[in-house]
Amino acid sequence: MRGLLLLWSLAPLAWQLYTSLVTPEALVSGSAGATGSFWTLENYRQVWLADPPIWRYLLNSAVVGAASTALTLALAVPCAYGLQRQGGRLRWAVSLALLATAIFPTVLLFLALLQLARTLGLANNLLALSLPYAALCLPLAVLLLRAAFAELPPDLEDAARLEGLNLPQRLRHVLLPLLAPSLASTAILVFLFSWNEYPIALTWISRPELLTLPPAIARLAGSSLFTVPYGAFAAATVLGSLPLLLLVLIFQRSIVSGLTQGAIKG
Amino acid sequence: MIDAMPVLPSPAPGLRIEGLSRRLGERTLLADLNLAVAPGECLALLGPSGCGKTTTLRLLAGLDAASAGRILLDGRDITQQSAGERRVAMVFQSYALYPHLSVADNLALGLRIRGMAPKEREGRIAAVLELLQLGELRLRRPAQLSGGQRQRVALARALLRQPRLVLLDEPMSNLDAQLREELRPELRRLLCGGDQPVVYVTHDQQEAMGMADRIAVLRDGALQQVGSARELYERPANRFVAAFLGRPAINLLPAQGQRQLGLRPEHLQPVLHGGIAARLQRREWWGNQQLLWLETAQGDLRMLVAADQSLPEQLQLGWRPEHELWFDSHSGERLAAP
Repeated sequence: MRGLLLLWSLAPLAWQLYTSLVTPEALVSGSAGATGSFWTLENYRQVWLADPPIWRYLLNSAVVGAASTALTLALAVPCAYGLQRQGGRLRWAVSLALLATAIFPTVLLFLALLQLARTLGLANNLLALSLPYAALCLPLAVLLLRAAFAELPPDLEDAARLEGLNLPQRLRHVLLPLLAPSLASTAILVFLFSWNEYPIALTWISRPELLTLPPAIARLAGSSLFTVPYGAFAAATVLGSLPLLLLVLIFQRSIVSGLTQGAIKG
Repeated sequence: MIDAMPVLPSPAPGLRIEGLSRRLGERTLLADLNLAVAPGECLALLGPSGCGKTTTLRLLAGLDAASAGRILLDGRDITQQSAGERRVAMVFQSYALYPHLSVADNLALGLRIRGMAPKEREGRIAAVLELLQLGELRLRRPAQLSGGQRQRVALARALLRQPRLVLLDEPMSNLDAQLREELRPELRRLLCGGDQPVVYVTHDQQEAMGMADRIAVLRDGALQQVGSARELYERPANRFVAAFLGRPAINLLPAQGQRQLGLRPEHLQPVLHGGIAARLQRREWWGNQQLLWLETAQGDLRMLVAADQSLPEQLQLGWRPEHELWFDSHSGERLAAP
């Protein structure tokens, strides 16, 4: 059963990796073609040596992702705290509104957003791209963090109040350290959204050196108009997945560690 | 024209609560509470859950706002002060230790925020760790401590601030019975008899009687009676106090018109003639005492006698007139003996 699940989730990745490492002839026919080679690094060389090279897009995506994540968390933490401290009915209504926004299909927004970018002069600006990203991620982030705040024992904050900690100090020294696992998982969700986002990035950015990864990959061209560069696509997506993999591996421990264990009676 | 400087009354030390109330919408959580606690005195707030004792504690701490009334600490009105401004320390039922910090950092956080110099801070922390014999645990996290150790750390954090008032919210309810009994004199030694008043919330009457100099019994947000354990037990203000204090509980005989008689189980005794006829139903043998369940024409009664006393199946029950506690059968107020 476990093997089946692993196969189910890993097979597409393995296929991607395979596609990125073989020649086009090998991919089509399954055997070495006229050139005589089966395995190749040519696809990687192609995306790495392109102009601009792929690391440029990776860097752009990382910048947008980091900015979106920072902006989202900076806004979502106070929102979530305030929402959690609110009385029952208002909290319920606001949570419902947030949920409605969170499940709204974002594709329907990109034309309106494009209009906004034009009017406000935000096009072709990497950091400006994090504004719509943060806005779109905010509802879900607030909901997730509110639930995390709700799970902290209220006595902890009361004890800190009695010791004279004001609200920013309580957040900084007591609440946020305990929320680290939830903050990490929320941050990864936001980063992931920003990393994968396509329509807004496509419409807001037109200068090639400013493209983020998804529209950049879509622009990869084959040797002729009629060839689809499967190998190059695959190589670019493999390279694009590596940073994410790294990120999750780094934060994995903080996500799963039960920091609040033992906060109250054992 | 000023004839003479007004004479300022010297601030009365200790805690004074005047007409303190808290309402939430339609509900009254605490109504018009008046109490005074002297420095060094330990007052227990006792009552069933929902009686207003934790509400009172949170008002004193400044964690909730009062709807009416005043709180005076050492003569100064602190009702409007925030929790952090009051020099009030509290030990929570859950201990509320910061789980991500070591014992030493748990103690240091509040002092650091106040901007105390590191040297003075370390000195104070070392002193309080010494007092509570926590020195060896200073680098442990709360999760690595036993329940009793966590309670001591919570106590250390409260004492560290040299508070003018110490509040304890069911500090022993998470500990097992034996540890609770051992800790009672220790808690008294550490807290009571100092120069700050101590208010102790509990629903355990034995703990209240063992810990406190005086006990305030609360019910539905209203103070029923305040006094020493002995006063409350021997001269309860009403039926509720009489029934809440004392285990096994007082026997309440059926009302006779306006009046109802209450008799403590240990005050019943077998007599040769002239008592009420009783039949022995069940016996609980407790080692030092035994509890007898008796069926009588006045309903089922509980009687507490020495463990080695043997009694027949059928007996006559009597009591001394001075042990009778009479209550108004409607209001429950205690009445003078008829």
